Amino acid sequence: MTDKEIFRNTFDKLHASPEITTEVLNMTKGDNIVSIKKRGFARKAAVMTAVLVLVAGSAFAAYAMDVGGVQRMVQVWIHGEQTDATFTVENGSYTLDYKDAEGNDVHHEGGGVAYENGIERPLTEEELLEEINMPDVQYYEDGTVWVYYKNQKMEITDKFRDGVCFVKLEAGDDTQYITVKYKDGFSSSPHGYIQPDEFY
Amino acid sequence: MSKEEFVTYAEKYTDTIYRVAYSWTKNSHDANDVTQEVLIKLYKTGNEFKSDSHVKNWLIKVTVNQCKMLFRSPWKKLEDIEEYANSLGFEESSCLDLFYAVMNLDKKYRLPLMLFYYEGYSTAETAAILGIPEKTVSTRLYRAKARLKDYFKEEYEDDR
Repeated sequence: MTDKEIFRNTFDKLHASPEITTEVLNMTKGDNIVSIKKRGFARKAAVMTAVLVLVAGSAFAAYAMDVGGVQRMVQVWIHGEQTDATFTVENGSYTLDYKDAEGNDVHHEGGGVAYENGIERPLTEEELLEEINMPDVQYYEDGTVWVYYKNQKMEITDKFRDGVCFVKLEAGDDTQYITVKYKDGFSSSPHGYIQPDEFY
Repeated sequence: MSKEEFVTYAEKYTDTIYRVAYSWTKNSHDANDVTQEVLIKLYKTGNEFKSDSHVKNWLIKVTVNQCKMLFRSPWKKLEDIEEYANSLGFEESSCLDLFYAVMNLDKKYRLPLMLFYYEGYSTAETAAILGIPEKTVSTRLYRAKARLKDYFKEEYEDDR
């Protein structure tokens, strides 16, 4: 057997999810490409959610209070500050509206699905809220770089070595190990630092 | 592109897109996501393709670009490679070992390996698709091959 045959035998096993192909093929029947793109976005969010599922049970920094229907008032951590927001959830997608420190209206939206035993399901409200409260990295016009996690924030502007910064932030019982590549994304885990070459 | 053409190309190249995307992302969910995005781009493109190979080359280039876009986003996740590998149902342990060995290589080696050994592109074609010098492709294949010497039997031969 040649090396190419050995290689092909191995990687022949890799196939795209049948659902993906079906979804895209269905798209050609309905002339509705927008809805498919939205689902594509949702799938990206789900990627992260799969991790969140692994840490289920950790305390939420946000809480929800019914205001009727699918819209709720919640408190979320925005850049280290607990902020009142209007949170609307529908079938795994959400919108989040709040006023920033300057009183400006801010609108976020997103969503996702989770994969459990190969089955796709919409994210729950709790999972979406936990997602919203995951660590964030902000680059400001004055050149400073900050990391936020729940009620914790840290300036990391001068902490980069070879373009990479490792930050550990603890919020109550929750710890996040955050790897930041300068202006090239970041990754976080409650279990330990993800190495820079493990994400791109 | 007509819907019929799109369906034909989607059925023919979806797994190719996925394999390239997986080689880059090492994450089945991300690879599926990229695959869907690339197929949507195919559906929307106004390109007129001259041949099957033209379509395939275009799809692989778009896939690589889509992978780069994916990793500019803050959505990051690592997948348990072992769990995914187990789901693939390798019948021979040597295949499983090779899968792990390839996935333990740096991305800059994985993609040329996939294009050269799986898709059957030459080093020149691989270089053109990835937008890097042919010499670089040759070097990366040589080094990848050296790292995989326990799994491969042949000496790497530059086919330029």
